[in-house]
Amino acid sequence: MRNILAIAQKEIKAYFAGPIAYITLGVWALMYGWFFNALLQFFVRQSMQMNQFGMQGPQAMNVNQQMIRPLLQNVTVLILFVMPGITMRTYSEEKRSGTIELLLTSPLTDFEIIMGKFIGALTLYGVMLAVTLIHIGVLFVYGRPEWKPIVTAYVGMLLMGGCFISVGLFISSLTKNQIAAFMLTFGTFLLLWVITWIGSFAGPTIDKLTQYLSIVDHLDDFSKGVIDTTHVIYYLSFMTFGLFLTAKAVDSERWRG
Amino acid sequence: MIEVQNLSKRYGRVTAVDDISFKVERGEILGFLGPNGAGKTTTMRILTGYMPATEGKAIVAGFDVFEQPIEAKRRTGYLPETPPLYPDTSVVDYLGFVARIKGVPAAERTQRIQQVMERTRITDVANRLCGKLSKGYRQRVGLAQAIIHNPDVLILDEPTAGLDPKQIIETRELIKELAGTHTIILSTHILPEVSQTCQRVVIINKGHVVAVDTPDNLTARLRGSETMYVQVDTSGADASAALSRLPGVTRVLEAERKDHYISYEIDSERGRDVRRDLARTIVSSGWGLLELRPMRMSLEDIFLSLTTDETQTPAAAGDAPPPETVATATDGAES
Ligand SMILES: Nc1ncnc2c1ncn2[C@@H]1O[C@H](COP(=O)(O)OP(=O)(O)OP(=O)(O)O)[C@@H](O)[C@H]1O
Ligand SMILES: [Mg+2]
Repeated sequence: MRNILAIAQKEIKAYFAGPIAYITLGVWALMYGWFFNALLQFFVRQSMQMNQFGMQGPQAMNVNQQMIRPLLQNVTVLILFVMPGITMRTYSEEKRSGTIELLLTSPLTDFEIIMGKFIGALTLYGVMLAVTLIHIGVLFVYGRPEWKPIVTAYVGMLLMGGCFISVGLFISSLTKNQIAAFMLTFGTFLLLWVITWIGSFAGPTIDKLTQYLSIVDHLDDFSKGVIDTTHVIYYLSFMTFGLFLTAKAVDSERWRG
Repeated sequence: MIEVQNLSKRYGRVTAVDDISFKVERGEILGFLGPNGAGKTTTMRILTGYMPATEGKAIVAGFDVFEQPIEAKRRTGYLPETPPLYPDTSVVDYLGFVARIKGVPAAERTQRIQQVMERTRITDVANRLCGKLSKGYRQRVGLAQAIIHNPDVLILDEPTAGLDPKQIIETRELIKELAGTHTIILSTHILPEVSQTCQRVVIINKGHVVAVDTPDNLTARLRGSETMYVQVDTSGADASAALSRLPGVTRVLEAERKDHYISYEIDSERGRDVRRDLARTIVSSGWGLLELRPMRMSLEDIFLSLTTDETQTPAAAGDAPPPETVATATDGAES
């Protein structure tokens, strides 16, 4: 555990020592702010129209359903773009600069190194999510959204992000070229995202399968305020599998030299 | 302290290290000598647990590096060919991180970092970013990280590469200081480095160990023949016949022919000084003796005389290498 922490701290320092963290957070905050504004304006216009028609009570616009849920869905797309930038350097950079030799000849297990890197990336992602909470906070100032679906949505997003990170780590461990790692990771994320569209054309059985495989689809229930254990298990097993692949890749690289 | 048994490493179809064995005693400095691509780095990477061997066994500080890698790594310090530095990290922070992952207790870390920085003379760059350091300082920070946890065994891959002459001397002094309490393997291309710092030398070529001996013995046994460099003005005549007739001369090679002089490389039997005879013959023939000096045997010569002759085994230590070895010297130089 001490070693995992040491690696994780080093990773976080590395993000903030170079430009990556700032660029990522900057792009993230900008894009997120843009989505937020667009949705907020849309929401406000809609609810004013509703008010004109005199609809009140149960039919009234729901901040959680009409505003926060679509917002978080858009955020998922954003994560698709931003996450490869976070994970691309994790292994590639160490391989390119030769610091991997330091890590692999230190009294550390592969598991400790991988977990350290995973937690490091997850922490930066956590900071990104924290930035978005500021906007959500604004909604609380002007309205009365339900907090429970928001909490579950964030739990879901954290889990989903963990899956993306585990894939990113794996791909980064395959190459010493960061750009290649970025492209490959981004491509894989896209595939994992659009897989349901492909599935919806291919008949019901495959549709079910692709829906199950799609990382993003599992988030929907979370943003409705439900924590379903099947989804949690799905995410956790996905992460485990990604990290397992990373461990395999690191180990086979060692044998090949 | 270090024991290597029948170690082999193959990268796909390339055999980088082929069945090598050697031992290093506690407190000893062992030099690893060989040309590019000999397998030095590969052997060191196996010893440090960076990669497993294809075959064979390696025991470092009492632990098998494949069976108990963590225990072995705890007791090993390693300076890779390129110092493994994080460019955006300051030297102190970097050493702090290394101390942490090498298992130096938190309470001792600050003191240890100060100590190694003083020893490797990097205190003045303590707060500089590693990425902004000159090659020499990088090398020293690399050495500092290798000794930070006070390991029993130190493995240094070309520790003086890229240093200026003053730093080379300082680094060699430091390495000698470290021996005794540490067991050291260092790799190099430079023969004087080996004779100055190491107690024993392993010469390796194309993955094979071609000799294991002390630097003195090695030089002595390679001095199987002495070579003289002679420059004469014969006004065009060929002096080689006259010179090769002298007693003790085993071979005469024309090295260079210019308008006003010819230079020869003359091999003679070991322990027999032919300088007087050479001078007398040249002068009495009426030629001008422009230069006469013994040729120092460079690492390449020593190395090649060991490696180009397939029949000579390390066991045949005292034997003089056949004179032909020098003739083939230039052929194998690139391999
Ligand atoms: N990762 C690798 N994949 C394939 N072949 C490799 C790899 N690393 C080294 N080799 C090959 O193994 C052989 C030994 O290389 P090694 O780096 O051990 O030599 P060296 O003695 O350290 O040379 P140098 O003096 O240039 O540092 C070379 O033929 C090299 O091409
Ligand atoms: Mg090398």
